[in-house]
Amino acid sequence: MSRGEHFGSRWGLLLATLGMAVGTGNIWRFPRVAASNGGGTFLVAWVVFLLLWSVPLIILEFGVGKRFRKGVVGVFIGLGGSGFAWLGGWVALCATAIMFYYSVVAGWCLRYLWGSVSGELAHRSSRDLWDSYAATPAAVVTHALALGLAVAVVWFGVRGIERVAKVLIPTLFVLVVILAIRAVTLPGAERGLEFLFTPDWGKLKDASIWLEALTQNAWDTGAGWGLIVTYAIYMRVREDVSLNAFLIGFGNNSVSLLAGIMVLCTIFAINPGAGSEIVGAGNEGLTFLWMPELFAQMPAGMFFMTLFFLALSFAALTSQVALLELATRVLIDLGLTRKKALLLAAGGGLTLGSLSALNMSLFKNQDWVWGVGLMLSGLFFALGALKYGVDRIRREVINSEDCELYIGRWWTVIIGVLVPLEAVVLMIWWLWQTREWDPEGWWHPLKPESAGTVLAQWLVALVALLVLNRWLARRTGGAANPEGGGA
Amino acid sequence: MSTTAIWTMVVICGFIWGTFLLLAWRAWRWESRKDSRR
Repeated sequence: MSRGEHFGSRWGLLLATLGMAVGTGNIWRFPRVAASNGGGTFLVAWVVFLLLWSVPLIILEFGVGKRFRKGVVGVFIGLGGSGFAWLGGWVALCATAIMFYYSVVAGWCLRYLWGSVSGELAHRSSRDLWDSYAATPAAVVTHALALGLAVAVVWFGVRGIERVAKVLIPTLFVLVVILAIRAVTLPGAERGLEFLFTPDWGKLKDASIWLEALTQNAWDTGAGWGLIVTYAIYMRVREDVSLNAFLIGFGNNSVSLLAGIMVLCTIFAINPGAGSEIVGAGNEGLTFLWMPELFAQMPAGMFFMTLFFLALSFAALTSQVALLELATRVLIDLGLTRKKALLLAAGGGLTLGSLSALNMSLFKNQDWVWGVGLMLSGLFFALGALKYGVDRIRREVINSEDCELYIGRWWTVIIGVLVPLEAVVLMIWWLWQTREWDPEGWWHPLKPESAGTVLAQWLVALVALLVLNRWLARRTGGAANPEGGGA
Repeated sequence: MSTTAIWTMVVICGFIWGTFLLLAWRAWRWESRKDSRR
């Protein structure tokens, strides 16, 4: 391991980590979920779980990444000894499986960006474009392009990631602000604001609102995915943990709010009659079918459509870079050089992601299986911290001499008690829901979105990781490097 | 827009954006102080 590969500045670390956290989920999932779950009521629950899930886990990830200076497998070995390597293996596997199909989504964004820039979407309906493009070899090409762009960034290590984040993330913020201002100044935009912010306080008693708010936080901020651990490896030696963690959590949710305002004001200003239908159209339906149609109907629509898909592409690519770096880093810890590790991770992504690019059922299946798997990753982080000593992490790493925001015992209680409880409740709730969606086939392992397929794929993965545990521990092990840096 | 919706918007956006800007300002001050010490 060569010493000295660090982020050049605190802002480099913060922008790269914000780039990881801000993804397509902020732009296409948050507005839809917020609006269809009680608007203002959902937002209250969403803020509560920002403080009870996302920020505490981000603090933990920054802390243990800084302490052990290894990828997720190495961090779990540091937390619980060699017997915990498989837990880190799970976190790595989950994020890597997401990276495979997330690249397909990034490819869709690039295709629609090209459709806007070239003017194709001015004379062609978005539905026509989607039908002739999704799940065809063209989607494999854009998937490969998105993956290739991420490889080009990760190839240069943390300096490449920092350089790209310093350009893309401020630009993304500016684009989202411009689009939000344009949306709220459209005639009739107040209907969108009303839809997003009107509270229905009676719904606070509805458990599903709270569970949806927790899910949105878990998927949206990237807390508990292992990605922050990966970037924390490259933190400078004397760097704060807690203030940075709060900044990432609140920065991510700031973008979500802006995106919610932008998307819902655009929908309700242009087509108020179809508001509920558009919000219920799902992620791809909202973004790739409805948004281009709506932009086409507003003044200077092609210009704003281009900005929208540019913002979406930037959000997708910076998250894709983080996912690819996580897999690469785990392979580096196993003894590969950065270039070999990167090519292996990218090769796997190209091959397995292509299957998702060609088959929407497989895409939805993978999104479902590993999306729910993230809750297990969050649980594993809490278990690792419990084994090492949650309060020990707080005292030794978080509240160190470089600490800029003192963290009290509340954090120990949240990580030691609340996070495991939230993760277990959430997983059971999601799997239980499949009984309602499909009472006949919820148990069937070959149904794309069933509890059966989740449990079957998890079982195979967990058995394989347990078998490989000793090998993982032996190859990754070794003393932690508190000076930091990476190969 | 109803008064309740306006107030909810002000409180939620104020809390999220306000806290973010406050934290960013605090981090910036820390960095400036560190730079001046060097």
